[in-house]
Amino acid sequence: MADNIFFEFLHMEMVDYVYKMDVSREEHEQVKMNAISTLENMGFRVGQGLIERFTKDTPSFKDDLDVMKFLCKDFWVNVFRKQIDNLRTNHQGTYVLQDSKFSLLTQFSNRKQYLLEAPRYLAYTCGMVRGALSNLGVDSIVTAEVSLMPACKFQVVIQRS
Amino acid sequence: MTVYNLYIFDRNGTCLHYSEWNRKKQAGISKDEEFKLMYGMLFSIRSFVSKMSPLDMKDGFLAFQTSKYKLHYYETPTGLKIVMNTDLGVPNCREILHQIYSTLFVEYVVKNPLCSMNEPIQSELFCTKLDGFIRSLPFFSARAG
Repeated sequence: MADNIFFEFLHMEMVDYVYKMDVSREEHEQVKMNAISTLENMGFRVGQGLIERFTKDTPSFKDDLDVMKFLCKDFWVNVFRKQIDNLRTNHQGTYVLQDSKFSLLTQFSNRKQYLLEAPRYLAYTCGMVRGALSNLGVDSIVTAEVSLMPACKFQVVIQRS
Repeated sequence: MTVYNLYIFDRNGTCLHYSEWNRKKQAGISKDEEFKLMYGMLFSIRSFVSKMSPLDMKDGFLAFQTSKYKLHYYETPTGLKIVMNTDLGVPNCREILHQIYSTLFVEYVVKNPLCSMNEPIQSELFCTKLDGFIRSLPFFSARAG
Protein backbone atom coordinates (compact mmCIF):
# COMPACT_ATOMS: atom_id res chain seq x y z
CA MET A 1 0.00 0.00 0.00
CA ALA A 2 2.60 2.44 -1.08
CA ASP A 3 0.41 5.44 -1.55
CA ASN A 4 0.46 8.74 0.17
CA ILE A 5 -2.47 7.99 2.42
CA PHE A 6 -0.44 7.61 5.61
CA PHE A 7 1.15 10.98 5.23
CA GLU A 8 -2.16 12.60 4.24
CA PHE A 9 -3.95 11.41 7.34
CA LEU A 10 -1.00 12.28 9.56
CA HIS A 11 -0.84 15.74 8.03
CA MET A 12 -4.57 16.29 8.63
CA GLU A 13 -4.22 15.32 12.26
CA MET A 14 -1.09 17.39 12.67
CA VAL A 15 -2.81 20.54 11.47
CA ASP A 16 -5.82 19.90 13.71
CA TYR A 17 -3.58 19.19 16.68
CA VAL A 18 -1.48 22.30 16.29
CA TYR A 19 -4.60 24.44 16.08
CA LYS A 20 -6.26 22.83 19.06
CA MET A 21 -3.14 23.32 21.16
CA ASP A 22 -3.08 27.03 20.58
CA VAL A 23 -6.78 27.75 20.70
CA SER A 24 -6.92 26.93 24.36
CA ARG A 25 -4.52 29.75 25.09
CA GLU A 26 -4.73 32.96 23.10
CA GLU A 27 -6.54 35.46 20.89
CA HIS A 28 -7.83 34.34 17.52
CA GLU A 29 -5.46 36.15 15.14
CA GLN A 30 -2.47 35.43 17.30
CA VAL A 31 -3.45 31.78 17.36
CA LYS A 32 -3.53 31.49 13.61
CA MET A 33 -0.05 32.95 13.24
CA ASN A 34 1.44 30.70 15.92
CA ALA A 35 -0.10 27.60 14.47
CA ILE A 36 1.04 28.42 10.97
CA SER A 37 4.60 29.10 12.11
CA THR A 38 4.68 25.85 14.10
CA LEU A 39 3.60 23.91 11.03
CA GLU A 40 6.05 25.79 8.86
CA ASN A 41 8.94 25.04 11.18
CA MET A 42 8.03 21.36 11.22
CA GLY A 43 8.07 21.39 7.45
CA PHE A 44 11.38 23.23 7.46
CA ARG A 45 13.16 20.52 9.37
CA VAL A 46 11.60 17.79 7.25
CA GLY A 47 12.51 19.60 4.05
CA GLN A 48 16.12 19.85 5.15
CA GLY A 49 16.31 16.13 5.73
CA LEU A 50 14.47 15.21 2.56
CA ILE A 51 16.68 17.27 0.31
CA GLU A 52 19.80 15.61 1.74
CA ARG A 53 18.35 12.28 0.81
CA PHE A 54 17.16 13.21 -2.66
CA THR A 55 20.36 14.93 -3.77
CA LYS A 56 22.64 12.20 -2.55
CA ASP A 57 23.67 11.27 -6.05
CA THR A 58 23.01 14.35 -8.14
CA PRO A 59 25.77 16.71 -9.21
CA SER A 60 25.83 20.17 -7.68
CA PHE A 61 23.59 22.88 -9.04
CA LYS A 62 24.79 25.64 -11.30
CA ASP A 63 22.53 28.42 -10.09
CA ASP A 64 19.26 29.25 -8.40
CA LEU A 65 17.17 28.47 -11.45
CA ASP A 66 18.65 25.00 -11.55
CA VAL A 67 17.81 24.53 -7.90
CA MET A 68 14.21 25.60 -8.50
CA LYS A 69 13.91 23.28 -11.47
CA PHE A 70 15.13 20.39 -9.36
CA LEU A 71 12.55 21.31 -6.74
CA CYS A 72 9.77 21.42 -9.28
CA LYS A 73 10.64 18.15 -10.91
CA ASP A 74 12.44 15.58 -8.82
CA PHE A 75 11.61 16.83 -5.35
CA TRP A 76 7.91 17.35 -6.03
CA VAL A 77 7.64 13.98 -7.77
CA ASN A 78 9.23 12.20 -4.86
CA VAL A 79 7.00 13.82 -2.30
CA PHE A 80 3.69 14.37 -4.13
CA ARG A 81 3.98 11.97 -7.06
CA LYS A 82 3.66 14.66 -9.67
CA GLN A 83 5.60 17.61 -10.97
CA ILE A 84 4.90 21.27 -10.50
CA ASP A 85 2.82 22.34 -13.47
CA ASN A 86 4.21 25.78 -13.98
CA LEU A 87 7.31 27.66 -12.84
CA ARG A 88 7.55 31.39 -13.36
CA THR A 89 10.29 33.78 -12.42
CA ASN A 90 11.14 37.41 -12.74
CA HIS A 91 14.82 36.55 -12.83
CA GLN A 92 15.29 38.84 -9.87
CA GLY A 93 15.00 36.12 -7.27
CA THR A 94 11.23 35.60 -7.16
CA TYR A 95 9.79 32.30 -8.33
CA VAL A 96 6.17 31.20 -8.49
CA LEU A 97 5.47 27.46 -8.48
CA GLN A 98 2.01 26.56 -9.66
CA ASP A 99 0.45 23.21 -8.92
CA SER A 100 -2.90 22.77 -10.60
CA LYS A 101 -3.91 19.75 -8.54
CA PHE A 102 -2.14 19.91 -5.21
CA SER A 103 -2.42 16.49 -3.67
CA LEU A 104 -3.19 17.66 -0.17
CA LEU A 105 -6.09 19.75 -1.43
CA THR A 106 -7.84 17.53 -3.96
CA GLN A 107 -10.28 16.14 -1.45
CA PHE A 108 -11.47 19.48 -0.15
CA SER A 109 -13.59 21.01 -2.80
CA ASN A 110 -13.78 21.73 -6.45
CA ARG A 111 -14.00 25.45 -6.28
CA LYS A 112 -14.48 27.79 -3.40
CA GLN A 113 -15.91 25.81 -0.53
CA TYR A 114 -13.52 25.63 2.44
CA LEU A 115 -11.29 28.32 0.91
CA LEU A 116 -10.72 30.02 4.28
CA GLU A 117 -9.33 26.91 5.90
CA ALA A 118 -7.12 25.88 3.01
CA PRO A 119 -4.00 27.92 3.95
CA ARG A 120 -3.53 25.86 7.12
CA TYR A 121 -2.92 22.82 5.03
CA LEU A 122 -0.30 24.58 2.95
CA ALA A 123 1.88 25.85 5.79
CA TYR A 124 3.72 22.59 6.27
CA THR A 125 4.55 22.36 2.57
CA CYS A 126 5.82 25.95 2.53
CA GLY A 127 8.17 25.07 5.35
CA MET A 128 9.30 21.97 3.52
CA VAL A 129 10.22 24.00 0.45
CA ARG A 130 12.04 26.57 2.59
CA GLY A 131 13.98 23.82 4.39
CA ALA A 132 14.94 22.11 1.16
CA LEU A 133 16.22 25.36 -0.28
CA SER A 134 18.10 26.29 2.85
CA ASN A 135 20.07 23.08 2.84
CA LEU A 136 21.00 23.77 -0.76
CA GLY A 137 22.43 27.07 0.35
CA VAL A 138 19.54 29.24 -0.73
CA ASP A 139 17.86 31.44 1.87
CA SER A 140 14.29 32.19 1.04
CA ILE A 141 10.82 33.10 2.15
CA VAL A 142 8.04 30.85 0.94
CA THR A 143 4.37 31.72 0.95
CA ALA A 144 1.37 30.00 -0.58
CA GLU A 145 -1.95 31.11 -1.89
CA VAL A 146 -5.08 29.37 -3.06
CA SER A 147 -7.79 30.97 -5.10
CA LEU A 148 -9.46 28.02 -6.77
CA MET A 149 -9.06 24.54 -5.40
CA PRO A 150 -7.30 22.28 -5.96
CA ALA A 151 -4.82 24.58 -7.67
CA CYS A 152 -2.39 26.51 -5.57
CA LYS A 153 0.69 28.70 -5.95
CA PHE A 154 3.85 28.76 -3.89
CA GLN A 155 5.86 31.94 -4.04
CA VAL A 156 9.58 31.74 -3.28
CA VAL A 157 11.50 34.95 -2.71
CA ILE A 158 15.23 34.44 -2.49
CA GLN A 159 16.99 36.49 0.16
CA ARG A 160 20.33 37.82 -0.86
CA SER A 161 22.52 38.81 2.04
CA MET B 1 -34.93 2.15 -15.05
CA THR B 2 -33.91 4.68 -12.54
CA VAL B 3 -32.59 5.54 -9.10
CA TYR B 4 -35.05 7.35 -6.82
CA ASN B 5 -33.02 8.35 -3.81
CA LEU B 6 -30.01 7.56 -1.66
CA TYR B 7 -29.42 7.71 2.10
CA ILE B 8 -26.17 7.38 4.00
CA PHE B 9 -26.32 6.69 7.74
CA ASP B 10 -23.47 6.41 10.19
CA ARG B 11 -23.11 3.90 12.97
CA ASN B 12 -25.17 5.96 15.40
CA GLY B 13 -28.14 6.53 13.15
CA THR B 14 -27.30 10.06 12.08
CA CYS B 15 -28.21 10.62 8.49
CA LEU B 16 -25.00 11.89 6.88
CA HIS B 17 -26.34 12.41 3.43
CA TYR B 18 -29.57 12.23 1.50
CA SER B 19 -30.22 13.00 -2.13
CA GLU B 20 -33.10 12.24 -4.46
CA TRP B 21 -33.47 12.24 -8.18
CA ASN B 22 -36.87 11.23 -9.41
CA ARG B 23 -38.95 10.87 -6.32
CA LYS B 24 -42.58 11.51 -7.21
CA LYS B 25 -44.22 10.96 -3.86
CA GLN B 26 -42.92 12.24 -0.52
CA ALA B 27 -43.38 10.38 2.73
CA GLY B 28 -45.71 12.91 4.25
CA ILE B 29 -43.55 13.42 7.32
CA SER B 30 -40.61 15.73 7.98
CA LYS B 31 -37.18 14.76 6.73
CA ASP B 32 -35.87 14.11 10.24
CA GLU B 33 -38.70 11.75 10.97
CA GLU B 34 -38.21 10.04 7.66
CA PHE B 35 -34.54 9.41 8.43
CA LYS B 36 -35.37 8.06 11.84
CA LEU B 37 -38.02 5.82 10.37
CA MET B 38 -35.64 4.50 7.73
CA TYR B 39 -32.88 3.84 10.22
CA GLY B 40 -35.22 2.17 12.69
CA MET B 41 -36.59 -0.07 9.99
CA LEU B 42 -33.11 -1.11 8.83
CA PHE B 43 -32.05 -1.88 12.36
CA SER B 44 -35.12 -4.03 12.99
CA ILE B 45 -34.94 -5.85 9.68
CA ARG B 46 -31.27 -6.68 10.15
CA SER B 47 -31.79 -8.25 13.52
CA PHE B 48 -34.96 -10.02 12.32
CA VAL B 49 -33.19 -11.48 9.32
CA SER B 50 -30.27 -12.77 11.31
CA LYS B 51 -32.50 -14.28 13.99
CA MET B 52 -34.91 -16.03 11.67
CA SER B 53 -32.41 -17.25 9.15
CA PRO B 54 -32.67 -21.04 8.69
CA LEU B 55 -28.98 -21.25 7.81
CA ASP B 56 -25.82 -19.50 8.95
CA MET B 57 -25.67 -16.24 7.13
CA LYS B 58 -22.78 -14.30 5.77
CA ASP B 59 -24.13 -10.98 4.58
CA GLY B 60 -27.58 -10.75 6.00
CA PHE B 61 -30.09 -8.26 4.73
CA LEU B 62 -29.39 -7.20 1.14
CA ALA B 63 -32.52 -5.73 -0.39
CA PHE B 64 -36.29 -5.72 -0.32
CA GLN B 65 -38.72 -5.30 -3.14
CA THR B 66 -42.25 -3.94 -3.39
CA SER B 67 -44.60 -3.66 -6.34
CA LYS B 68 -43.11 -0.28 -7.27
CA TYR B 69 -39.54 -0.01 -5.99
CA LYS B 70 -36.61 -1.93 -4.67
CA LEU B 71 -34.54 -0.88 -1.69
CA HIS B 72 -30.87 -1.89 -1.74
CA TYR B 73 -28.80 -1.94 1.42
CA TYR B 74 -25.06 -2.07 2.01
CA GLU B 75 -23.27 -1.91 5.32
CA THR B 76 -19.54 -1.42 5.70
CA PRO B 77 -17.52 -3.09 8.45
CA THR B 78 -17.25 0.32 10.10
CA GLY B 79 -21.00 0.60 10.50
CA LEU B 80 -21.72 2.99 7.67
CA LYS B 81 -25.05 2.16 5.98
CA ILE B 82 -25.85 3.05 2.41
CA VAL B 83 -29.44 2.68 1.23
CA MET B 84 -30.57 3.18 -2.34
CA ASN B 85 -34.12 3.04 -3.71
CA THR B 86 -34.38 2.12 -7.35
CA ASP B 87 -37.10 0.89 -9.60
CA LEU B 88 -37.71 -2.79 -10.15
CA GLY B 89 -35.63 -3.38 -13.25
CA VAL B 90 -32.34 -2.91 -11.42
CA PRO B 91 -30.27 -5.99 -10.56
CA ASN B 92 -28.16 -6.46 -7.46
CA CYS B 93 -26.48 -3.22 -6.48
CA ARG B 94 -24.00 -4.34 -3.89
CA GLU B 95 -20.98 -3.63 -6.04
CA ILE B 96 -22.23 -0.17 -6.85
CA LEU B 97 -22.92 0.74 -3.25
CA HIS B 98 -19.50 -0.57 -2.34
CA GLN B 99 -18.01 1.62 -5.04
CA ILE B 100 -19.87 4.64 -3.67
CA TYR B 101 -18.28 3.93 -0.33
CA SER B 102 -14.74 3.33 -1.51
CA THR B 103 -14.33 5.81 -4.31
CA LEU B 104 -16.57 8.63 -3.11
CA PHE B 105 -17.12 8.52 0.61
CA VAL B 106 -13.59 7.54 1.59
CA GLU B 107 -11.97 9.88 -0.90
CA TYR B 108 -14.00 12.98 -0.35
CA VAL B 109 -15.30 12.72 3.18
CA VAL B 110 -12.91 10.62 5.19
CA LYS B 111 -9.88 12.21 3.62
CA ASN B 112 -11.22 15.70 4.07
CA PRO B 113 -10.07 17.06 7.42
CA LEU B 114 -12.77 19.70 7.37
CA CYS B 115 -15.56 17.11 7.28
CA SER B 116 -16.01 15.87 10.80
CA MET B 117 -17.07 12.28 11.25
CA ASN B 118 -20.56 11.61 12.50
CA GLU B 119 -21.95 14.88 11.25
CA PRO B 120 -23.98 15.51 8.10
CA ILE B 121 -21.70 15.89 5.12
CA GLN B 122 -21.12 19.50 4.13
CA SER B 123 -18.66 18.97 1.32
CA GLU B 124 -20.09 20.15 -2.00
CA LEU B 125 -17.43 18.18 -3.83
CA PHE B 126 -18.83 14.97 -2.40
CA CYS B 127 -22.37 15.88 -3.45
CA THR B 128 -21.27 16.79 -6.95
CA LYS B 129 -19.24 13.65 -7.43
CA LEU B 130 -22.00 11.47 -6.03
CA ASP B 131 -24.54 13.06 -8.32
CA GLY B 132 -22.26 12.55 -11.31
CA PHE B 133 -21.65 8.95 -10.36
CA ILE B 134 -25.32 8.10 -9.99
CA ARG B 135 -26.21 9.80 -13.24
CA SER B 136 -23.55 7.82 -15.03
CA LEU B 137 -24.92 4.48 -13.88
CA PRO B 138 -26.19 2.34 -16.75
CA PHE B 139 -29.59 1.96 -15.22
CA PHE B 140 -30.19 5.59 -14.41
CA SER B 141 -32.40 7.62 -16.72
CA ALA B 142 -33.56 11.10 -15.89
CA ARG B 143 -37.14 10.37 -16.87
CA ALA B 144 -38.61 7.99 -14.32
CA GLY B 145 -39.37 4.78 -16.22
